[in-house]
Formats: sequence, structure tokens, C-alpha cells
Amino acid sequence: MQEIYEWFRWLNEATGINLTIVYDSYDRERMIDGFVNTIYLSLVCLGFSVIIGIVGAWLQGSPLKWTRRLVNGYIQLFRNTPPLVQMYFFFFALGSLMPRVENEWGIMEPILSNWHWAILSLSFFAGSFNVEIFRSGIEAVPKATVEAAEALGYNRLQTYVYVVLPLALRVCLPALNNNLVNLVKTTTLAYAIAVPEMLYVANQIWSDSLNVPEMMTFLLFAYVLLVGLLVMVMNKWERSMRLPGFGA
Amino acid sequence: MAKRHDVYGTTDLPVLLPAAERLNRQAAAERVLGAPKLRLRAWHGLALAAVIVLWTSFVWAQADGAGNEQQESVISAIWRWLPVLLGGFVFNIAISFLSMGIGTVAGTLLGIMQISQVWPVRGSSWLVTQFFRNAPWLVLLFFCMFLLPFEFTVFGVTIPFPDWIKAVIGLALPVMANVSEIVRGAIQSIPSGQWEAAHSLAFSRWQILSQIILPQCVKRMLPPWMNLYAILTMATVLASVVGVGEVMTLTQRVLAAENRPEFLVPFYGFVMLLFFAYCYPIARTTQKLELRYAVKQ
Amino acid sequence: MKTRILAAATALAASFAVGAPATADTLQNVMQSGTLTVGVKADYKPYGYLDSDGNIVGIEPDLAQDVADTLGVELELVAVVASNRMQFLDQGKIDVMIATMTDTAERREVVNILNPDYYSSGTNIMARKSTDFETWDDLEGAPVCGVQGAFYNRKTSQEFGAEIVGFTGTSEALNALRQGRCAAFVYDDSFLNSRLQEDQWSDYNMPLETIDDAPWGVAVKHGEDAMARFMSGMVVHWHTTGQIVELEKKYGIDPVPFTRKMHERYRGYIPEAKK
Repeated sequence: MQEIYEWFRWLNEATGINLTIVYDSYDRERMIDGFVNTIYLSLVCLGFSVIIGIVGAWLQGSPLKWTRRLVNGYIQLFRNTPPLVQMYFFFFALGSLMPRVENEWGIMEPILSNWHWAILSLSFFAGSFNVEIFRSGIEAVPKATVEAAEALGYNRLQTYVYVVLPLALRVCLPALNNNLVNLVKTTTLAYAIAVPEMLYVANQIWSDSLNVPEMMTFLLFAYVLLVGLLVMVMNKWERSMRLPGFGA
Repeated sequence: MAKRHDVYGTTDLPVLLPAAERLNRQAAAERVLGAPKLRLRAWHGLALAAVIVLWTSFVWAQADGAGNEQQESVISAIWRWLPVLLGGFVFNIAISFLSMGIGTVAGTLLGIMQISQVWPVRGSSWLVTQFFRNAPWLVLLFFCMFLLPFEFTVFGVTIPFPDWIKAVIGLALPVMANVSEIVRGAIQSIPSGQWEAAHSLAFSRWQILSQIILPQCVKRMLPPWMNLYAILTMATVLASVVGVGEVMTLTQRVLAAENRPEFLVPFYGFVMLLFFAYCYPIARTTQKLELRYAVKQ
Repeated sequence: MKTRILAAATALAASFAVGAPATADTLQNVMQSGTLTVGVKADYKPYGYLDSDGNIVGIEPDLAQDVADTLGVELELVAVVASNRMQFLDQGKIDVMIATMTDTAERREVVNILNPDYYSSGTNIMARKSTDFETWDDLEGAPVCGVQGAFYNRKTSQEFGAEIVGFTGTSEALNALRQGRCAAFVYDDSFLNSRLQEDQWSDYNMPLETIDDAPWGVAVKHGEDAMARFMSGMVVHWHTTGQIVELEKKYGIDPVPFTRKMHERYRGYIPEAKK
């Protein structure tokens, strides 16, 4: 390990290519944390956005007009405004209205941190797309299939869990995967509200070490690889889940 | 790889309702576009405006409550800064036009290269397309902002390269990749029988493409292309992060000058409203075009 | 007015005497085109900020105007931020930079920071009076807001153990501080001082000893010797006449010890300046 660090230090002296994230232990730890944070942020938001999608799709089927309108309003608001502005709006506007608790520094701190708001706003942003995806998926399951399940003695919940959802999920999968890949790319915006993900950390490092080209190149390839890997896994999953007798 | 993008075929088996097919078609289209579709209605804009008015009055009430009668109201502050903010927004629109123009020209070429019969051309254009589709927009923007030179000297002529042009290029790159996929998808959606028929009439490959295939594609490409434009317009705020003087940058400077934290909400809300007001007619037109062309297919 | 012309003339004479290089230099270009482009901050009240017409105003724009007036050319201001100002200068987008830039040895390698420096500030924190930070080490483990790109962020987190929460601009960081998202805000003491004079920040103070007090320098591109000498002359002239102290008063902040000290020192530099 030490030799590798030395080699990168030598690289800096010899060529000026300054990859502090390899040989400087402080920068290295920051960047590893940033990478972990990006993955963590992506996974948590993926999970929440799927839950929001399922719940939203269920609410959209509500017989109450105003419930449906509320869900529709939410979808439109989040789809049609820039997510960066949404994030600022969430964090600075709604954030200041939260109840406060005293922290160990004797300050009344709002209960939700920048992490929470980043997760919330990204999840709701991606969730607004998931709602329609899931609703169409559920609509695609024929009534006859549900009736057949009932005839076999399934109750409502069982029908939903064992019959409707597995079918709907397979139908939604291509659209859902597109959206989730977009979500991972969108996590970079959390940078604006000081969530220490990869872009944020890279920015700190190039401010300190003035090595912008190196950090930028590293960042670009890191994201392309990360997203490329995700696309590959998703496509594999999609193929393995494809419904027989349906699709090309 | 290409097969995934095709419109899914139908089946005689009554496994799923037509909605499934519609969803799959939409998914295929979205995959081509790399981004989901927008759907807007008139009342959404009104609702957003109402929300902002409520916010401002709320903030106003708060300011009154704090006993700061001498302080200016939020509405008059926005009014006072309106020329500055609108000027910034026009800049956003200008950036979006230029990025879209450059991205469309480059993307169309790249898309045609993707169906080339020469495999190195096909492979490399596929790689370029995938690379720029998978990179986050913000990272691409940072990349162009910091790594492009301030001016180019070509044959003794110095061409200046201010940062808004860098932002235009930074945004044009993902647009190019997405347009490339739109073009490739549209070309491949034209039945191969047309190629064969034209071939038998002694058309060359280029003639078939330019005179028969591409004119048909324009219609199919228009809705996703306009949708991409709306997404691009919303992405122009990202240029603020790299210091271009567009509406978000100006809003931040205004907020720094005003130095009244309670202004953050209404000012950011106002920016949201501006974008909504601009994207709404585009989304409406896109929807109409989609419906019109869907019937003829 | 007399001293200004005198100082500028001295500087100009000096610059021409040593011989401007045959290639067109920045100063020559400025004189020929009739426009001087100066990089200043636009989010750093009162040193450089936006007025409601969208113009950049403040102490540094006023200084830039003085330079343009002395040369008899038009002034064009370009808003810069910490992360791009040196690149702008290097690329020739701006002729001169007067943008709250701390004079450090590393930066002197990248751009030509002129002697003497024109201002000075150190690093301090702004915190609610109820918090009891007494030394920098008390910040250990505390969430501390900052602005991305500031050089002391790393030091604050690495040496004092604070958790830096870096925002993109000062208004965001101040808002986060007010919301109670951080225990303190670490930034230039000159900026914090001018905030603390506002009513809305009356519950806050600057509890720590200012560290890293370092001067701010006017910068030009390396190799632009004529411009460098002329600008050095301008800075000397500002200290001689006490113009910076006056501008501090005009924009409602207490003159920092550095500007007062420099004014004292330079007052006798040109006899006419004595009144």
C-alpha cells in the first residue's frame, strides 16, 4: 500500500498530476466517505421513492376526489420544477418551520438535518414519477386474474401480495429502472445543501489542493462507472423477470 | 442491446391488459429519451402561484409580528428586483436554445453513426452516447466549466470563450447523447421493409436515409425532443453552481445583498414559478403533438 | 486629487521607465481599448455586492472605479468567486483582481499578488451568544457552517475537529446558522464583523481569537510588470490618502486595524498628503 502512495506522490512531483485522494490520508478518507455517502443516499432514496410510488398509486385509486387531486398536485409540482430549486426550497423554507430540539451545543436545532431533507426531496422527486409507473402497472393486471385468485380462496391482501404485485412489478420494471438510474444521477444535487457526497467532497479537495482537472476527471469516470454498473445490473434483472408470453 | 429499445410486440395471450402495452411503449420511449415525460395542466401553474402568494403573505405576517414595520414587504422587494431576475431568466432561455441547437446537430450525427454498417463507427458512437448519458449533468457542467480554456487561438485568431458558452457546451453534451438515442430509436422504428423496398428501387443507403427514413422520423422524434427541451430548460439552473450569471446565481446574489433570510422562500418560489410558466406551454404542445401523431401510426 | 495624480504619475513613469516589453501588455491594451476589466466579489457585503439595479457596488468596486478614473478609461466589473478568480486572471478575462483574496505563498505562485496589500482579515467564527466557545479547540465535534472553497475549512476540521458543513454561498450559510443547523459559522472576520453590526444578528458574537490574520492582495497576471507597478502605486496611494478607511466608514463598518496602521505608516510618504 505504502509503495502505491509513494508512487502517486512521485507522480505529482514528476508530472504535476496531483491525485491527493490516493496518497493524502485525509483526502483519501474524505473521498471514501463521499463515495459511501453517494451509495447510501442513492439506496435510501431508491427505497423511499419506491414506497412513495406504491402508496401514491394506491391513493390515486381512492374514491375520494380530493385525495386523488392532492396526489396529482404533488406529482405535477415535483415533476415540473427544477429539482435543485426544490432542494433549496425544502431545506431553507420547510426546514425552518420544523419543530426544534436543543442539541448538545445549547442550540435549538430543527429536527430534520440536511441529510434528511436531501433524502426527502430526492425521494419525493423520484417518487412523483414512480406513482404513475406503479399505477399503470397495477392497472395492467386483468380483473380476471384477480377473480381467479379469489376463486382459489385468496383474501384481498393475499391477492394483492401474491398475484397483483408480482405481475405489476414485472410490467413496471423497465420504466422503474429508468427512473431509478436517473435518481442516482440526481443525487449530485445534494451537494448544494452540504450533504458530503462525492461531488461535494471533490469540490472541497480541489479547493484545498488546486487540482481541479484531476478531481474532475476522477469524478466523471467514477459516476459513469457507477451508473453504468447500475444500468447493467438493472438490465440483467429486467431480463430475468420478463413475463413469458409478453414482450419481444 | 438494440433490441431492448424496440417497441414491445403484442401477444394473443390474455396475460395483461392493454395498459401494460401502453406502459411498455412509454418505458421504451423514456429509455430512448433518458428521462421521464412531463405532464402539465393549466391549474398546476395557478396552484403554484397560489402557494407562493400564500408563502409571501405568511412571511409578511411573520415580519409584522416581529415588529419590523420599517422593513420592506416581500412583494415589493420581488417587484424591485424583477428586472434583474427576469434578465437572468432570459439568459437561461438563451442558454437552453443554444445548448439545444448544438446538442441536436451533434446528436443527430451521432445517432446516424449509431446505425452505421461500419462497426468501429457504430461502436465508438455507441460508447460516446452511453458515456454522456450515464454522467450526471452537474458533473459534466463542472467538467466543461473548469477544464475548457478561456479562449482558443486558431491560426492567430483568438476566439473568446466566456463561461456562459462553456455552460452551453456542458449542457449540450448530455443533450447530444439523448438526441442520439432519440434519432437511433426513431430510425429503427421504421419498418425494415421500407429499406428493402427502397433498395430494390436502386436508392443508395444515404438516399434512403435522407429522402425516405429521416423525413418520417421527424414526426416521431418531435415529442421526445420537445420533452428533452423542457428538461434541459430546468437543468439550466445548474449553471448557477458554477457561477454563470443566470437566474439562480442572480437570486443568490440578490439574497446576499438583501441579507434577509426570510426572503429565501419567496425568492426561490418565484424562480420555480418562472420555470413552471415557461415549461407549461411546451409540455402542453408536446402532449397535443403526441396525441396527433399517435393516431396516424 | 493632486496626490492621486502624483502617485499615479509616479507609478506610470516607473512602469514606462523600466521599459514596457515590445509585445502589447495589459496596461497598453487597457489604454488603447479604453476599458479596464476588474474582477470583484458580488456576494460579499459590503466589499462587493449587488444593488437593486443589478450593479455591483461596494468598497472594492469603488477602488476599481478609482483605478479606472486615474487611467481615464471606462470600468467594467466582472463578478468572481473564490474558485474561479485566479483562473480568470490567468486567462485574461480580467485585467486586475480586487476580490477579497488572501495573500498566500501558494497563490503567489499562480498569480502576481502585489505589494503592499490593501486590506486584511483573519478567520473567526460567528456563534449565538448562548454557546460558550472560548478556544478553537472547543469546536471539536461541533457542526460548523462554512462556504465551499474557503481555505480555512480544512484547517478547522482537521486541526480543531469541527464538522464543516459547506454551503455554496454566504447567504445560505448565514441562513443555516440562523436556523440552528450549525453551532457556528467560520468565515473571514471582516465579513462577520459587518454582519454583527446589523440588528438581526444582535444575538450573535465572535467569541474566539481571530487566527490566521492575513492580508488581502490586489493581483495581476504574472509577467504583466507595467500593470503590476501601476497597481502597486494605486495601493500605496490608497493607503497614503486613507481612502480605504474612508470607504469602510462610508459602507458603515469599523476600519480594521490593518488599514488604520497602513494609513498611519504611509501618511508621510508623499508630503502633500499631510493636512
